[in-house]
Amino acid sequence: MRRKPKSPAVLEANAAGGEESEALTAQLDRNEATFRRIFKDCADIVFRSVRMDGQERLLIVYISSLVNEQTIDDHILKPLMSKAGIHSAGTNRPEAEALKERMISAGSASISSDVNELVRQILNGQAAVLQDADSDALVVKADGTKQRSVEEPSSEPVISGPRDGFNENISTNIGLLRRRLKTPRLKMESGTIGELSRTQVVLAYIAGIATEALLAEVRARVVRIRIDGVLDSGYIEEFIEDLPYSPFPQTHSTERPDVVAAELLEGKVALLVDNTPFALLVPMTFWTGLQASEDYYVRWPIATFVRWIRFLFIFIAIFAPSLYVAVTTFHQEMIPTNLVLSIASAREAVPFPAFFEALLMEIVFEALREAGIRLPKQIGQAISIVGALVIGQAAVQAGIISAPVVIIVSITGIATFTIPRYSFASGVRLLRFPILVLAGTLGLYGIVLGFLSIVLHLGALRSFGVPYLTPLAPIQLASLKDILIRAPIWAKRHRPQATGTSNRVREPGGQQPGPHRGRRP
Amino acid sequence: MKRLPQACLLLSAWLLSGCWDRTEINDLAFITGSAFDLTDNGQYLLSLQIAIPSATSGGGTGGGPQQKFFVLSATGKNANEAFEKLQKKSSRKLFTAHRSVIFVGESLGRQGMNGVLDVFVHDPRQRLRTYIMVVKGGEAREVLQSKYPFDQVPMEAVKEMEGQQSEISTNLRDFFMSSSSDGIDPVVGAIEVEPERKDSGRTGLFKLAGSGVFKETKMVGLLDGSETDGLHWAQNHMKNGRINAELPDGLGNVGILVTHAERKITADTKGERIRFELLLEGKAMLFENNSKLDISRPKNIARVERALETKAEKQVLDVLIRLQKQYGADPVGFGLFLHQNKPKQWKAMQNHWEQSFTKANIKVVVKLNVGGAGMAGPPLQWNQKEIRE
Repeated sequence: MRRKPKSPAVLEANAAGGEESEALTAQLDRNEATFRRIFKDCADIVFRSVRMDGQERLLIVYISSLVNEQTIDDHILKPLMSKAGIHSAGTNRPEAEALKERMISAGSASISSDVNELVRQILNGQAAVLQDADSDALVVKADGTKQRSVEEPSSEPVISGPRDGFNENISTNIGLLRRRLKTPRLKMESGTIGELSRTQVVLAYIAGIATEALLAEVRARVVRIRIDGVLDSGYIEEFIEDLPYSPFPQTHSTERPDVVAAELLEGKVALLVDNTPFALLVPMTFWTGLQASEDYYVRWPIATFVRWIRFLFIFIAIFAPSLYVAVTTFHQEMIPTNLVLSIASAREAVPFPAFFEALLMEIVFEALREAGIRLPKQIGQAISIVGALVIGQAAVQAGIISAPVVIIVSITGIATFTIPRYSFASGVRLLRFPILVLAGTLGLYGIVLGFLSIVLHLGALRSFGVPYLTPLAPIQLASLKDILIRAPIWAKRHRPQATGTSNRVREPGGQQPGPHRGRRP
Repeated sequence: MKRLPQACLLLSAWLLSGCWDRTEINDLAFITGSAFDLTDNGQYLLSLQIAIPSATSGGGTGGGPQQKFFVLSATGKNANEAFEKLQKKSSRKLFTAHRSVIFVGESLGRQGMNGVLDVFVHDPRQRLRTYIMVVKGGEAREVLQSKYPFDQVPMEAVKEMEGQQSEISTNLRDFFMSSSSDGIDPVVGAIEVEPERKDSGRTGLFKLAGSGVFKETKMVGLLDGSETDGLHWAQNHMKNGRINAELPDGLGNVGILVTHAERKITADTKGERIRFELLLEGKAMLFENNSKLDISRPKNIARVERALETKAEKQVLDVLIRLQKQYGADPVGFGLFLHQNKPKQWKAMQNHWEQSFTKANIKVVVKLNVGGAGMAGPPLQWNQKEIRE
């Protein structure tokens, strides 16, 4: 893709949407008629007429639901209606330029003469100020939609670490990000996607760290999108993935500004989408799915231990029910004698085959989980009681389900929730079912087949040109210190090889702390 | 259209291979032990102990102690025929992979086990790690019928006992290896059912009772517990063995636990007579000192060591003489030693090895090193003056 000199324009390629441009006329009445025609039957549009010095008529157009009316009152109406109006030299009326420079006390204002552009701005929550005998209009930033306060993200809670999360307002989100990286090298390329929704999408990266190739690829994929409306970053995600049929997410979606900042520092690229707290980070690797932001906020031995726990539990999350089914129905000789007798005694009265039993319980568990999310909070508790008592105990006592299956399903459930990234965990959860079918028909052989297919798939998967298993496959030894262990921060001198190629060094070496550091002669 | 052949390939990997032999765990009868006996008319009597799973878990609803197992028996010309008859008696599929012990009645052992052993080699569902034992002085099925209070099924208890390796423990693999090798004869553990106690009204427990010595697959004799200990050391299998010895001059007795033991064989094949020397070295800890000696003194330690060495030499030599002269069997593997270390001499005497072996001169030398004296020097109950330093 050819890069245009001015970066914010880069994402604008499809913003015009093929509309014909129409210029303002010098007659206010005609202009007003044009806007009234465009905003016909829109109850929330406001046309406010003002007469300066009792002479000149000005028209302020805005959408009441999108603007902060206080701003309009203070920064547009008051200066205009005050007697101290300053006219441009020679004529009795102010030019738009003069209005902007001398009258309007709002921070952000621009001038436009294109009707479509004005309509877009008005729909973006700006106020347009038109006046007679001027084919230019002043656009004043006055947007003030209600927004949720900055709260702790409910999908990624932490015990230690920052607790602010993105909200639905993109400028708030950009602010949260900018507060963490106070450098002009943090670039924000803005654009809009969606024929009707005109959703603002911001491509954030740190110049000099993110590679040009990656940036070009992300821009190209984003600009390609043609859609009527974008309601969440999930819409974007599905358009820019490398392999849409994969159960594994290839973009990392997060609501935590600290996560975005950290990954930008590693040379990744973020896509912020208006009206959603979820930002997308690319490229994503398998290991991103197993790294929680908290890993970097607790001391490194603890983080490393927790990380290994996750490595163990992702296997359990995928394979535990299948292993149980395979071993109890095909390979009874593998279980220690006492255990095989316990399992046999638990299954004595159970009418279903172990495979069907496990499948049933897994589906019930998924239903419980889904119901737990969907139900209102007050009813959620009832569901957990029903889940725990009815499924956990009554079904076992009634002899419909055997106790070992309940144990296995709960361990699997717990294992799924040790995976920090929700969309990654969902992919893992999904894989459990085909493996279970393989185990129920082919035993351990089936599990091995399934495992091999997963490994092959992961080996072939790429996210924006980066192999999904990087840095384990292809092996990049230096980057492994943030994968297999979480190396101390003073030891992580280099950025990951996969994304940080253009600027490798992160910090000078020799910073290992100790009582004698820096005091040796 | 490359996808279709690819999909077909994957599908065939799924459908054409694998083990389509799924069996639910509650459709299996877990055999925990088997016993082979000889009937009066020369047929084999196969008995199987089968675990009853519902009795093994704690959640049983019925009151009172339930049977944890039951025993099925059938006769047949060979093991396979008997097994088939047993399968007809069982509603669940008999599952042999969890069997931990095979018992052979003494009478069958003496007659030769050729008729029952082969089934363990050809059937893939058998485990070669199954222990094989001889039942001393009785029918093998009696062991299966006795109850043992510790474990869910009694045969697990036998497995644990064997696993401790305090006595000879031989599994099928060991048995086949030594019965088919030149210059070594198999020896298996022996088990005995304690006589029934009339007052308690239940069947007696079982206990390990030495070992049974085989030549090929035929049992030639039994060794008692003390002889088995001696054999154990001579076989270089000694682990945590205990030796007790009376000190000379009526000083009392001492007991040690041998923690490290090593065996070295040297052979002298010059001349007519073959001479073997068995050097047994051991490190031990003193566990008991019922004498008035202060064994923290090196002089006294040496005294204790000498007494123990004499005792151990006699114990080992006794069993070797018995094996050599009375049974003509060689479970220690003197022949194997020659075979491996002096192949030329072995070739010369291979054909008349059995006669040569019975005439061979065997000498046993034991060297013990009592390292630790335990927590106290002299026994604490004596006062200072009574202690002999």
